Amino acid sequence: MKTQRMVVLVIAISSLLFAVGSAQEKMTKEDWQREVDRYTQMKTDLQVKVAELNRQIESLQNESTKLDADYTRCKDELYAMVGSNAQEAAAFAAEIEAAENKANELLRLSDAELMQRSSEVTDLAAKAKGFRSNKLSLLPEFSDRLDALDQKIESLQRALAGAEKTYTVGTWARDRDCLWNIAKKKDIYNNAWLWPKIWMGNKDKIRNPDLIYPGQKLRVPSGNALTAEEKAAARRHYMKN
Amino acid sequence: MNKRQVRVGMVSFVIAASFLLAGCSSSPSEEQMRQLDELKQEHAALQREVSQKEEQKAALEREVAAKNAKLKKCNDDKQVVQSRLSK
Repeated sequence: MKTQRMVVLVIAISSLLFAVGSAQEKMTKEDWQREVDRYTQMKTDLQVKVAELNRQIESLQNESTKLDADYTRCKDELYAMVGSNAQEAAAFAAEIEAAENKANELLRLSDAELMQRSSEVTDLAAKAKGFRSNKLSLLPEFSDRLDALDQKIESLQRALAGAEKTYTVGTWARDRDCLWNIAKKKDIYNNAWLWPKIWMGNKDKIRNPDLIYPGQKLRVPSGNALTAEEKAAARRHYMKN
Repeated sequence: MNKRQVRVGMVSFVIAASFLLAGCSSSPSEEQMRQLDELKQEHAALQREVSQKEEQKAALEREVAAKNAKLKKCNDDKQVVQSRLSK
């Protein structure tokens, strides 16, 4: 009796649960219609949004094209102000870039290496000075770069000045100073035959190597052998005398 | 089985049957469910398109801002050059 009652109860509960579950899982037509309406509305909203975005994108693309044209016109006017054009400006920029690369290369050298290539620093300084004579150097895009280049050259020149030994000429009566004797000094070259080095390193101060004056501050270029130029100068001087 | 048990069983059966019938009678057809799925897919595709367009718009806005800055600098440079030339 008890078992029968339990069986009936279990069947009743199971069928109730199954029926409720089935009813919940399945979508009703009303639910379906609500979903269709909701998605249709969202789709319409998104379509409106896409259309609006397309309009904004087209407007931005037009603005971008117009800005390109305005910029090209502005640049042409800028170059025309200094009597130049885009091609010349590009060539000038390339020249400045080459000088910048050279300055950077020299800045990476040790003091000793820099001393050996001091003429390149002089050439670079002359080149930078030449750039300033070009009217394109008035353009900020170039003047800023030229200012930076000048700073690099100054720093190279400072490094050269710091690395370079100097000697202040004394009197003949007291010091017996002439280029030969100066070169012979232990703290200079310890080799009298290197005197043309001092002469060539001070061409701006010494016209005749036989004539140097007390108080003259002479540069003492580094190195332990004469360069071809120094040898040639010495040969010319010996032949003259 | 006594009468009370039979009654409980029948009532449960009637309730279950009514739930089942109610569920079956108003369910959408397969065609309608397919229609709803298509609608959901179209909605998802549109959402992707909107995000893509918004990214494109943002990139263009950045591009336009950069070009405006370049143009402004060019106009400023013109003034600088004018003043340098007049010196």
